[in-house]
Amino acid sequence: MADREQLALVLRTAVADVLGTDIDEVDETTDLITDYGVDSLELMEIGARLERNLDLRIEIEDLTRTRTVGEAVDLLAARSAGRA
Amino acid sequence: MTGAHRGGRVRVAVTGIGVRSPAGNTPDEVFATLLAARSTAAVVPGLAERGMAVRFACLVPFFDTDAHIGRREARQIDRPTALVLCAAADAVADAALTPVAEPERAGVQIGTGVGGLASMEATTRDHGERPSAMPVHTVPRTMANSAACRIAMRHGFHGECTTYATACASGTTAIGEAARRIRHGELDVALAGGVDAPVTPVIMGGFHRLRALSVRNEAPERASRPFDADRDGFVMGEGAAVLVLERWDRARARGARIHGEIAGYAATCDAFHIVAPRPDGEPASRCMRLALADAGCAPADIGHINAHGTSTLLNDRSEARAIARCFDGHSPPVTAMKGVTGHLVGGSGALEAALALLCADRGLVPPVANLRSSPEAGMVDLVVGAPRAVPPAPVLSNSFGFGGQNSCLVLAPAPAGDRPATTRALR
Repeated sequence: MADREQLALVLRTAVADVLGTDIDEVDETTDLITDYGVDSLELMEIGARLERNLDLRIEIEDLTRTRTVGEAVDLLAARSAGRA
Repeated sequence: MTGAHRGGRVRVAVTGIGVRSPAGNTPDEVFATLLAARSTAAVVPGLAERGMAVRFACLVPFFDTDAHIGRREARQIDRPTALVLCAAADAVADAALTPVAEPERAGVQIGTGVGGLASMEATTRDHGERPSAMPVHTVPRTMANSAACRIAMRHGFHGECTTYATACASGTTAIGEAARRIRHGELDVALAGGVDAPVTPVIMGGFHRLRALSVRNEAPERASRPFDADRDGFVMGEGAAVLVLERWDRARARGARIHGEIAGYAATCDAFHIVAPRPDGEPASRCMRLALADAGCAPADIGHINAHGTSTLLNDRSEARAIARCFDGHSPPVTAMKGVTGHLVGGSGALEAALALLCADRGLVPPVANLRSSPEAGMVDLVVGAPRAVPPAPVLSNSFGFGGQNSCLVLAPAPAGDRPATTRALR
């Protein structure tokens, strides 16, 4: 099972890649909607990368419900723990 | 001539030009390459490594996309869209267009031969085994109207946005149709042009299977030779060109620099063979006559012709016959830019229209690259060896596409009073 720090790195990498920004610009307080105006396709692409890299099943609706990157990491941590 | 269109219509001004082409990424750069008749064809490593039958093409030299396209958008679009977005941004800047006062009266008209086919080829290669893992943006990246709609989004144009597919005539069709929209009062401003980036193994392989491409792998720079006796097919190219078209009175009122005018346009179809042109060139000839009539021009008014001139025997011969028919044996000087640029498919007609207008305005017709002797020399007055000086006069620009698609534009230089100072200095 990946630890929280590893999960955060995977998520921040996916976000930075899809939104064309640097990983240093993305931290746990980053709000994808307010800060980047992320659209649903971009969110789905972020979700697809997470599923691929973490070997997890992630519903896009669950991801949409998280406000910040930190909350999304919490979600991933819970999923990851649940699977283990 | 300042007051009205020769045919008594609403006049359509060209106020901006932007290009991304093998012959250069500014109109002046392309103009210089054309005058020098310098071929841009070269070996493409990606084709050579795969041992393709045709291993060369005309590619756009490196250009910095960062100025026009952010990293976020860049990963959602493909090469043709990147090319055309950059060309459109240059055209808008050249026209000093922004902000557009009435965005609902501004539209986008873009032609493309194969659109997102090249990126769908890559998607099939990379994700064909597992389609469920393909990138989410695959459809918006590859759909045929992606490029046009990205331009509309970028510039906030809410008027009609249409993508035209008339194969190798697509760029010409888009400019002609845009001019019609402005004449008919549906638009005041249009970004019009064409684009393609078809240099991929599968697309090149497809054209090669038709025996349409030159196989002069040992000397790519001599491969594209429109109207030359030694031609053996066309050379694939890539690129985009976009023109800003405006209602003439609007352009004048805002003090825009006017490059010239879209004076006439016509389209016909051979309805003969799905790829071969009709040998006698009659439908193409009729297209030229209709475009001249639309412009209110007699054949004698035309200063030079920018031929489609692909460097395939079938095209060049039937086009020469068509010109001879239309001009009743009195051919104006004829040039063909594809000797330099290769065939940009949907990008060709737009690039050639823009450059033909500059040539007409500057009174210099570039020679056809690689042309030594032509079996068609008795039918058309080909410009060979060195640029030919002509008086400023309207130019006829031809495009003919697979499917028997014929599109012709007549472009006229701006009258002396409307001509930009820089151009006057060049004369």
